Amino acid sequence: MNVRLYPKLAVSSMKKNGRLYFPYILTCIGVVMMFYIIHSLSYSPLIRQMRGGSNVEVVLTLGKFVIAVFALIFLTYTNSFLVRRRNKEFGLYNVLGMGKRGIMHIIVWESLIVAVVGIVAGLVLGIAFSKFAELGLLNTIKADIDYRFTISPEAISFTLQIFTVIFFLLLIKSLIQVGRSNPLDLMRSENVGEKPPKANWLLAVLGVVILGVAYYMAVSIKSPLEAMTLFFVAVILVIIATYMMFCSASVVVCRVLQKNKRYYYKKNHFVSVSSMAYRMKRNGAGLASICILSTMVLVMLSSTTSLYIGVEDTLRSRYPMENQIEVNINRLEDLDESRLSLIRAEYEKVFTDHGIAPEKTLEYRYAYILGRANGNAIEPFSNRETGLMFTYETTREIFLISVEEYNMVMGTDYIVEPGQALIYPMGCEFSDSTISIGNLHLDVVGRTKKSMLSSSAMVSIVPVIMVVISDYEELVPLATMVDTHNEPILTLKWYYGYNIDVNEEKCAAIFNEQKSAINNTFLNTEMGFVYSASRAAAEREDFYSTFGGLFFLGIILSIVFIFAAVLIIYYKQISEGYEDQSRFDIMQKVGMTKEDIKKSINSQVLTVFFAPLLFAGLHLAFAFPLVWKILQLFMLQDLTLVIIVTIISFIIFGIFYALVYKATAHSYYRIVSGANAYLVND
Amino acid sequence: MSLLTVTHLKKIYTTRLGGNSVEALRDVSFSVEQGEFVAIMGESGSGKTTLLNILASLDKPTSGTVMLEGRDFSKIKENDVAAFRRDNMGFVFQDFNLLDTFTLEDNIYLPLVLAGKSYREMNERLKPIAIELGITDILKKYPYEVSGGQKQRAAVARALIANPKIIFADEPTGNLDSKATDELLRLFASINRKGQTILMVTHSFKAASTANRVLFIKDGEVYHQLYRGDNTNEQMYQRITDTMTMLQSGGDSR
Repeated sequence: MNVRLYPKLAVSSMKKNGRLYFPYILTCIGVVMMFYIIHSLSYSPLIRQMRGGSNVEVVLTLGKFVIAVFALIFLTYTNSFLVRRRNKEFGLYNVLGMGKRGIMHIIVWESLIVAVVGIVAGLVLGIAFSKFAELGLLNTIKADIDYRFTISPEAISFTLQIFTVIFFLLLIKSLIQVGRSNPLDLMRSENVGEKPPKANWLLAVLGVVILGVAYYMAVSIKSPLEAMTLFFVAVILVIIATYMMFCSASVVVCRVLQKNKRYYYKKNHFVSVSSMAYRMKRNGAGLASICILSTMVLVMLSSTTSLYIGVEDTLRSRYPMENQIEVNINRLEDLDESRLSLIRAEYEKVFTDHGIAPEKTLEYRYAYILGRANGNAIEPFSNRETGLMFTYETTREIFLISVEEYNMVMGTDYIVEPGQALIYPMGCEFSDSTISIGNLHLDVVGRTKKSMLSSSAMVSIVPVIMVVISDYEELVPLATMVDTHNEPILTLKWYYGYNIDVNEEKCAAIFNEQKSAINNTFLNTEMGFVYSASRAAAEREDFYSTFGGLFFLGIILSIVFIFAAVLIIYYKQISEGYEDQSRFDIMQKVGMTKEDIKKSINSQVLTVFFAPLLFAGLHLAFAFPLVWKILQLFMLQDLTLVIIVTIISFIIFGIFYALVYKATAHSYYRIVSGANAYLVND
Repeated sequence: MSLLTVTHLKKIYTTRLGGNSVEALRDVSFSVEQGEFVAIMGESGSGKTTLLNILASLDKPTSGTVMLEGRDFSKIKENDVAAFRRDNMGFVFQDFNLLDTFTLEDNIYLPLVLAGKSYREMNERLKPIAIELGITDILKKYPYEVSGGQKQRAAVARALIANPKIIFADEPTGNLDSKATDELLRLFASINRKGQTILMVTHSFKAASTANRVLFIKDGEVYHQLYRGDNTNEQMYQRITDTMTMLQSGGDSR
């Protein structure tokens, strides 16, 4: 046979199947483009040089991996869909005398064309858009903008390698698919009536149960640490359950509705319910995929956006002041104004040297102890002894603050007498009227409305109880406790922070001078102490590079996933359109008006289409407590912000989804109504 | 008054680009009386199916009128056509046209459900019909589970259940083996004896020979018609064969 026939046939049949191939090639291009962009960004010298650039690189590498795996799975799915739809055509070639070898030739050519077009166009677009993406990323992470245009050869060659492998695997799969099938049978198979789906009660019930378990897990998890590990378990359970729900539970529901004769034998329900059962069986997997992709997009968008928007809040709660120092005090008697004023003097000396005064200062003392809760008694232990062997349910972090300092910082006027305490539990319940911390016994006389300013120490992964006491004198019984190494269990700290109205450089310089002054004066003295000093400005860069990078990746991945969801929706509509053609033709002959048909189509398509969105919303709602816990690990504190961002994400996504529905429903109607020509040849 | 009156029916198909036009029906006139069993015969391409589509109000003629009980099809509003068809006509098709998403029972109910009838009424109506057609035992089965003959009997039941004034059958034996064909034709004759008007389009001599009257269509016109009179099916078959032979050989020189 003429060698040039195969490429010709390949091109012409791809053109003929443009409705199927065009979106597929577009997706290939899109995926290659996204992969190149992310990959080249992770190589970008601009990003590598900046502070926190390594954070961004880690995030981008993660994204690269996700996209590559996703591309393989998703392109496999769409490709096998394409090959399946073309069985009839291959059958015809076979009947006309082309052997399987010939058909495989065509497939090889087609794959080659798709791969070349996809990779080349994807790379070209990727190179073109990578600069935009880079600017976008730099802007998101608040780094300096640089307009130099770079092409990354490493990224090009790596993209080329990865996608050559992916397309090669796809080709192998199509060849196996065709090699196994008997095209002659497949050519006829379209006319054979399909078995009606059986209601699989077992799978349906199992699906509901698994979903219930996953939801329960998500809702009942208390600790953020647990949330981190169980998140993946919950995700996998939800994915399994979603597939079961869409594939089996939906059919069961239809069957139950059919049993109800009064409901079923109604004009509006009769056709819809029965064909829905079929639809669900065929498209359950596709719908479940749409649902899961939508959920992923929603979770990703809402959480990364919340983190990004919440950066300033997080920073402020972690670093209330621009510059701050936290000093560990060894002995309770050193937690005294006469001692602290010595340290403060070092600070103030630097201010005087520079001839400026801080705009605002904040200082307070607190004590900290770790303990195991047993009812209202908390048994202190040293964190040196336990290492990280926390059991979340019983471990408590206790913060003790004097009422005087609490009132000063929070602007309140609580009164606490000796032997009394105000408490504020976080992440745990405490309802007793007395509290015992080691051998310190206090009457709980009330609760404060708020926690004390969240210093870095207050951001905890285990439950916290803040205890406001009359005075630090109360701590004497605790201060004497020692662990097996003869070290005190109680930690005493002094926090000193300030804002200063100078430029960033000067601010840093002053801070460093103060640090060295303290080092010089105290480090090797009997007061020799440990301190931690931090600057919000420095941390800000780290925060932005991490959360900005995540946000950026969230958006890129969302685009990729939405791309995928749209394509699945589109293929689903098209293939259903072809299947429904003849069905609606018959119904019209039996006496269904065009109006009826339109109504029936509408109700079916709407249900089928918006079920995934509905479930994605449900998943999102139940995932919310879990996501919130994990966001707390990232020190995000603003629950309202996260709720609002999540709701807005859902609304935006819903609108987008509806637009896609409208566009694809149109092509569905066109296909279905195409068959309503009454002409049949004698 | 005749049940169905067709006068000067003409149908011209124009190709999409507006170039060629094909005359499917040139000038067809005939009428069908209440209780008749009429067969329309013709070669492939003679316009049989076009005629049936127009009679069934699935298609519109270029000119000419179709009247059912004196009601002119062209006067029926577009939105009412489907309801009119549902209330007055039953259909039996060559490829059965059963929906594979429904059991046979539900397929039979389809027109009644569309007409908004209650389940109890539908069930009452189905019982005698199912017994007569011998499909009581297979009502709960799906189309793919039964034979062609059984499918076609279910389709007949679907046509009968709405008590139509006329049943249109389009090549009903085309997809059946000879045994199932015999059964179906016996069935048609029997329901016709009970007063059901049937109009059947076919090119099977055997099918046509069971009718009371046979119309021959050629080149878009009614060319000839045969009345059964007192003839047996076999005699009728012979006359049809003769007519068709004449139609095919001498017809052109008319």
